[in-house]
Amino acid sequence: MKNRLLIVFAVVAGLLVFSGPMFAHHGVAGYDMAKTITLHGTVSKFEWSNPHCVIFVDVKNDSGEVQHWAMELASPTLLVRAGWDKNSLKPGDDVTIDTHPSKNGATVGITSTITFILKVIVNGQPLPTR
Amino acid sequence: MRNRLVGLTVALVAMLTFPSVLPAQSAQKSADAKAQRSRMADHTPDLSGLWEPKVDGPDGIKLNTWDPSDPYGAKPEQAPMAPWAAAKWKEAKPPFGAKQTFQDINDPVQKFCDPPGVSRIYMYPWEITFVQTPKMVYILYEFTRVWRAVAMDREHPKDPDLTWMGDSIGKYEGDAFVVDTIGYNDKTWLDHTGHPHSDALHTIERFRRVDHDTLELSLTVEDPKAFTKSFTGKKTYKLTSSPMGEVLCAYSEMESFQQEVIDQTTKSPGK
Repeated sequence: MKNRLLIVFAVVAGLLVFSGPMFAHHGVAGYDMAKTITLHGTVSKFEWSNPHCVIFVDVKNDSGEVQHWAMELASPTLLVRAGWDKNSLKPGDDVTIDTHPSKNGATVGITSTITFILKVIVNGQPLPTR
Repeated sequence: MRNRLVGLTVALVAMLTFPSVLPAQSAQKSADAKAQRSRMADHTPDLSGLWEPKVDGPDGIKLNTWDPSDPYGAKPEQAPMAPWAAAKWKEAKPPFGAKQTFQDINDPVQKFCDPPGVSRIYMYPWEITFVQTPKMVYILYEFTRVWRAVAMDREHPKDPDLTWMGDSIGKYEGDAFVVDTIGYNDKTWLDHTGHPHSDALHTIERFRRVDHDTLELSLTVEDPKAFTKSFTGKKTYKLTSSPMGEVLCAYSEMESFQQEVIDQTTKSPGK
């Protein structure tokens, strides 16, 4: 099945508290926290390490061009407490993933911090969210 | 006959008073039992357990300053800074608070993996735990796996070395564990919003186990060189069963993440 780039723009106002920044070691200043997009592609790498885990996903658009996305997650310790582990994703996995994208249009986003984990579906199975 | 009457009267009085006494006695026993669980065998406060920051509220994981009028760091400019401190604060490019940014960061923790220091380490969403011995209490921090030794049987040295985490002495005051610390170097940020401090920084931490599952920390900041008045903020921790993980700040990992993710968010569009 061809991987397709599927982007859904949804305004998610009020679901997240912005009264202070939130988490980890660096906050969320570079991300558009009011926007959530959904990507569908293939995992190329899953970095399970401090300071933050990162999911790298190859996403093909309708023209067949591949975009390389990097989605930031919480640290391994925090993800374990939420029910993830180092094998939650592997290279080659099919993944549908929600993320708050970078404000500058770069192919990076933030998918989880200590207070939230957006939807991540791996080979049809959802990972724990928060 | 008279004895029977007296006996009946006594029984009646007992019946009338006993039901109201029993629930109060049970409640008191329950309270005593709970209090007992929060005390060591020598009756000092029992701080044992793993403590993780509360999630909600200004005393939870979103605490960014110890200024009680601005716990989230929404108005960090209003902290009672001396003029030089206010000027230095303006140069800070912090990851949190009203000035949060990913651009040209100069947060020493984010940029260099420097130790966060005592006042700032509590602002990370990580666990703490205590090891209490009569002469020394150790506070262990999940974030960066540092620990402090709080001396229980001496005063501060007259001229302490200036270090990242200072010289700490402690005592128990009622149900509180009080930690007094001086001898800080001035290399750390006081908090997540980049407020500076001097080597005259003096912190007083009061840990109170307000109930079995709740630990309250109030931290007083006194720094006559950097601030025009002292202030006290609060952070609340909850008992957890999650074991401490490895949350080290390895520069190589930080640099890799910076390049792979953070730097991408600050590039001009199209680059």
